[in-house]
Amino acid sequence: MRIPILKLHDYLLISVQVELDDQTALQFQEDLLNKIHQEGSSGVVIDLTSVEMIDSFIAKVLGDVVEMSNLMGAKVVLTGIQPAVAITLIDMGIMLDEVPTALDLEQGLDKLQQELEG
Amino acid sequence: MQPSIIEMIYSQRQEIIDRWKEEIQHFSDNEFSRSLPSEMYNETNVEFVHLIIDTLELEQSEAKEKLRQFVERFIHTGWPLSFFTQGMQAFRRVLLETMTSQETINSKKVFETFYEVESWIDGIINQLVDEYSGSWENTLHLQKLALKELSAPLIPVFEKISVMPLIGTIDTERAKLIMENLLEGIIEHRSQVVLIDITGVPVVDTMVAHHIIQASEAVRLVGAECILVGIRPEIAQTIVNLGIDLGKFPTRSTLRKGIETGLELTQRKIVKISSDEFR
Amino acid sequence: MSVQSNVEVRTEWGIVSARQAGRNLAKEIGFSSVDQARITTAISELARNIYLYAEKGEIIIEAVEEIHSTGVKHGIKITAKDKGPGIKNIRQVMEDGFTTSGGLGAGLPGVKRLMDEFDIDSVAGEGTEITTIKWNS
Repeated sequence: MRIPILKLHDYLLISVQVELDDQTALQFQEDLLNKIHQEGSSGVVIDLTSVEMIDSFIAKVLGDVVEMSNLMGAKVVLTGIQPAVAITLIDMGIMLDEVPTALDLEQGLDKLQQELEG
Repeated sequence: MQPSIIEMIYSQRQEIIDRWKEEIQHFSDNEFSRSLPSEMYNETNVEFVHLIIDTLELEQSEAKEKLRQFVERFIHTGWPLSFFTQGMQAFRRVLLETMTSQETINSKKVFETFYEVESWIDGIINQLVDEYSGSWENTLHLQKLALKELSAPLIPVFEKISVMPLIGTIDTERAKLIMENLLEGIIEHRSQVVLIDITGVPVVDTMVAHHIIQASEAVRLVGAECILVGIRPEIAQTIVNLGIDLGKFPTRSTLRKGIETGLELTQRKIVKISSDEFR
Repeated sequence: MSVQSNVEVRTEWGIVSARQAGRNLAKEIGFSSVDQARITTAISELARNIYLYAEKGEIIIEAVEEIHSTGVKHGIKITAKDKGPGIKNIRQVMEDGFTTSGGLGAGLPGVKRLMDEFDIDSVAGEGTEITTIKWNS
């Protein structure tokens, strides 16, 4: 299973609509990095509104994706993390400290704009 | 119970009641009984003792139900449990005294009688205690629910800015509820900034600080920002003295300052308009 | 409710189906959405440990209840069983940040924090059994 990656000008938009299993998550990591390289994108928004669960493995993959994309010159914002998912992550002691977040896709794009301009 | 004992109690009913009334005079002089009109106090006593004696005639389940109905009335008007237990203890004393003073009973019978009366009275006392503790548990449960309802509403004050005032002690159970309300509210109101106001929190110890830190971490994950406001001088002192690191979180002394910061973060500010414009 | 599901874990898909079975039962018992996420996440961690370290094993998910003076408490019990290499140093794996897989090291201590009761039984060379319960408050 592959997660579609959409291009919008300088940005890439991803809306994760499937239950993330390990293989899908790793495949996504690879696809995204290739796409950033190919398009020369400067920003990425990953929307997690439909994701019902993030365990330590998925959290690690997401954290890594953000770090790797930064290395390639693309800023990443995670959006739409559900309250239940956020509480579970905090309970587990996973803070995702370095990862920028926003409420939804719209605010995520605003945030990217601000960060890239500022 | 043996019919002979029941018969004896009935034949001396009036005497037993009179002696019992005398007996309870000793402890009627307490704060509770003085707060009541003495007429009411005496009437209740009479009703109680007659009820006890009447239950002898009834089936066990019927007797239980009658006693339950009687006690329920008094639980709700705040009669102390000790009123009934002391009354029962006095009743047992009087009963045994009356019975043993009769010459017709031989020593073997005395033991049997003692045993029967004891278990009868104990049964009633146990039921009284059960009824009372059941009602206490119920009250406790209701109070817990009421406290839960009091907890932590999220109030949208401006577009993108909400306030959560916290009042009272924060324990683990409440902290969970606060966190859930906070996050659900952020999504519902699309808040970018939430101000957590701890003016009404009496003590901030490491546990409370831990809950607040976790809440603001979770707020960040769903995509908003948290500002802690209402930090009184003594709270600032305890936080530093306990070595709690709130360095990562923006804090402001008052709600007003917090709102100003919130507006700044969302690229807005409050301006004074000139009187011309006002007209 | 005497529902019980056993899910065999030997592929990554086992992890996903264990998760789904857990979410369904948690929903049925009436857990809040937050607790549903906690339970599913805990199952995911346990199943992944089986997959990573023991290759195969099973996850047993069942409804449990406890009778109290104030009523019946419902809960969900998750048992993770494998015949893998076992855990040599249990104290070490319960430490935050300890990892042998390159993960976040939040797995087992995380599960303990997500759930209400946690019990681990492991014999080196024979296997591991982890039992954990979440009560619906």
